Amino acid sequence: MTDPAAAPRGRAVLGIGRLQWADSWAGLKAISPLLIGSAAFGLAFGALVDVAGINPWAGASASVIVVAGASQIAIVEAMRANAPALIAVLTGVLINARFALYSAALAPVWAEFPLRWKLLLSYLMTDQSAVTSLQWAERYPDPVRRRWFTLGGAVPFVGVWVLGTVAGILLGPVIPTSWQIGFIVPLMFIAVLVPGLRRPAELVTLAVAAGVVLAARGLPYGLNILFGIIAGIIAGAAWETLADAHARRRGTPPGERGTEAETAT
Amino acid sequence: MRVWLIFIAAGIGTYLIRLSGVLLLSDEERIPLPVRRALRMVGPAAIGAIIVSALFLDHGQWRAFGAWHLAALVAIGVAVWKRSMGWSMLAGAVAFAALLLAGL
Repeated sequence: MTDPAAAPRGRAVLGIGRLQWADSWAGLKAISPLLIGSAAFGLAFGALVDVAGINPWAGASASVIVVAGASQIAIVEAMRANAPALIAVLTGVLINARFALYSAALAPVWAEFPLRWKLLLSYLMTDQSAVTSLQWAERYPDPVRRRWFTLGGAVPFVGVWVLGTVAGILLGPVIPTSWQIGFIVPLMFIAVLVPGLRRPAELVTLAVAAGVVLAARGLPYGLNILFGIIAGIIAGAAWETLADAHARRRGTPPGERGTEAETAT
Repeated sequence: MRVWLIFIAAGIGTYLIRLSGVLLLSDEERIPLPVRRALRMVGPAAIGAIIVSALFLDHGQWRAFGAWHLAALVAIGVAVWKRSMGWSMLAGAVAFAALLLAGL
């Protein structure tokens, strides 16, 4: 871990000052453990695009246009199920509704950034880069240095995601079907979701979403996914509300236990 | 063309969500508590739905029990035990490869 105050000063490179390069580099280092996951996830999405027979250019562009893996996978699955465009879009946007939470949490952290930086960094916002920016904010009190730090993590993270997608699309036809590469989808999401699960409400959400997805499997267009997500959200939020009311009756302070955003991709 | 329009529409919607708080809010507390609660559950709900669908269903029908389920169990077990994304993925991938080689 580098001490931000000890960053070097000196000549500009590519019109960007040395200190800015150093701060960006620190941002890259902070996010680097997650880069392999980003690339592997891109690879999985690219392979899925190939399997689903989607126009490879559109599939690769999706990683630049949407920049959110879970939603892209759900959209591709909905398209495979011949869903109407509206349902595919709705499913994807609903999955990405969680970014509203990161955006709200980052608002005070990014408050002093110029508008064009807010526009750019919001485009690059992912679960991982948002969490990193939140966790490191205090170590970068200067807004200029903070924005370069954030950019330095966000750009490579999205970069390897896009490169991974392209690699997955190119390699897809080469990988034998007997390898059942599709297993990467549940595996990746298990690895993303399960280690961070702690709150009972999350388990309620998970159980209800799973139950609805399976019970409604006969529905067309991948609607079982959409309904499962909605049912899970309602159940989890209701559980938290009841648990809070219960805690309040027993005299425990009501609760915002943990305001940090959940980890997901 | 349809594929492009779907991705572009989803991309615009997602970008607006990403911008929402950064442009409109100055403090997380200004999102009402029920909304915040619901948003916090989006991740587990969405990811859980995708896992369950991929694992148990194959084109709308039940997936035959086998390597997928067993390797997923290994990945979940290691994820709970180690609380680590990397170990979970590695264990699941190794288990899956071994099960495929064993002919499951």
